[in-house]
Amino acid sequence: MHDAITAERLKVPAIGVMTTRFVSAAELMSRVLGMPGYPFAVIPHPVSSATDDGLREMAAIAIGEVKRLLLRL
Amino acid sequence: MIGRPMQLASRTYDVADVWAAQELYHANGWTDGLPIVPPTRDAVAACLDWAMMEPQQLVGIEPVRGVAITAEKLAINAIMAGCLPMHFPVVLTAFTAMLRTEFLLHGATASTGGCAVLIILNGPIRLEIGASGTFNTLGNSDRATAVIGRAIRLALINILEVRPGGIDRSTLGHPGKFTFCVAEDEENTTWAPLSVHRGLPPEVSAVTVMAAGAPRQIMNEWTTKPEEILETFAAEMRANMRHYSIWAGNYAIVVPQQLREHLQTAGWSKSDVAAFIFERARIHRREWADAGKGAVVRDRGDTVYGALESPDQLLVVAAGGPAGGFGAIIPPWLGHKSHAVTEAIGVCIDCEPPKA
Amino acid sequence: MQLQVLDPTNEAIPPFGELAPRLNSLAGKTVGLISNGKEGTKGFFAHLDRMLRDDHGVANVITRVKSNYSAPADPHIVAEIAGWDAVVSGLGD
Repeated sequence: MHDAITAERLKVPAIGVMTTRFVSAAELMSRVLGMPGYPFAVIPHPVSSATDDGLREMAAIAIGEVKRLLLRL
Repeated sequence: MIGRPMQLASRTYDVADVWAAQELYHANGWTDGLPIVPPTRDAVAACLDWAMMEPQQLVGIEPVRGVAITAEKLAINAIMAGCLPMHFPVVLTAFTAMLRTEFLLHGATASTGGCAVLIILNGPIRLEIGASGTFNTLGNSDRATAVIGRAIRLALINILEVRPGGIDRSTLGHPGKFTFCVAEDEENTTWAPLSVHRGLPPEVSAVTVMAAGAPRQIMNEWTTKPEEILETFAAEMRANMRHYSIWAGNYAIVVPQQLREHLQTAGWSKSDVAAFIFERARIHRREWADAGKGAVVRDRGDTVYGALESPDQLLVVAAGGPAGGFGAIIPPWLGHKSHAVTEAIGVCIDCEPPKA
Repeated sequence: MQLQVLDPTNEAIPPFGELAPRLNSLAGKTVGLISNGKEGTKGFFAHLDRMLRDDHGVANVITRVKSNYSAPADPHIVAEIAGWDAVVSGLGD
């Protein structure tokens, strides 16, 4: 979350990817870093034991969020 | 007291009595679940006076979020934890050490790994504040270590929002997260204090902080040979590497008097102990498979991993009750991601406290 | 007995940040992926890299792995960000 907000402050659009279990942590970090409500992508948890197929599905979810959050509507 | 009223910046709350104060702090998530000492202006000002600090004086800046930590906020949390003014310089120094970049405070306190900040005290201040390094040293041994450790935790909760489910994402945590402060038993050992091994002059009071997992107790009362005693410590470190984390970093070992005397009688210094452990606390990556972690061995099964990158990464602490062939290893939170930091306690600790 | 007690929290409000302007399209752009390097992230970012290039016409995907997954990105990675059109960072796992 910190890295995405660093990029925003550098005027480069960014998106952080979190697993479901880190949603509240991401929300809190964005608030304490001065960007309350900063949007991010959420994928299933956990990643560390996911299969390659599982990782591909997670990447597909993230791609959808990348398009939604990084592009002008 | 200094000659003028101290200007404190914190918001104030009027409460009917000490019970109402408890409910206010619990309701706002401002405690660790235990009752607090109500932080009144007078109590907080007395802490700051003792340390000769202005309320707005910076203790440091949290490196990741850029949060400024003021002496006033730290003193409020110290009072809440039960500190007397004489404990406050230790709290200040410990927090200063934790704010060093190499300590990685944000990572250590936010991590699912759930470590606590272990605080190790050395030097004359231990005796001045009544910190004991003998019986029940990793439990509740005395007032000073109890309140100092708790002050650190409350400051993390309140100043840096390190609450469970907030910044603190610990899956399990451990009991040391209430308070985790140990005074080295310098009186009952021939060994040099930890702070001296960490580069400070003797007789300087100091605080060492480490991002620490829960202690793992060992026992071997059936030998007097240093190699055999230390092999038991090394075996527990190897177990931690297999079962928890293979990565090298600052481990602490706590050596109580009974085992310590065998080592000292044989002429082993702390450096000798560390050199031995450095050699013995090693595993092959393939041993992960014995603990159900075969999935991550890959083609590196023959690679040897040490618990320590160098002998001086081991913090050897003389502490514990006089009888019992026990000891403990305290593993690092996450290998060398966080480094232990040793800081001398401010020069003013040797000054006379301000006159009333 | 009436007591006046003090707020123990950090009452300072962090400086407010604004979102960077969004892009019109991903086509032809340079996207930086900042990975924390935790187990599984390599596979995730590999898929993401391929999808960005093959399906969305991204010209360059630059992957950087942080030296410490519990810390902010290393200064040399932060220094690169200004040269990218967009950033994807993760994973919070």
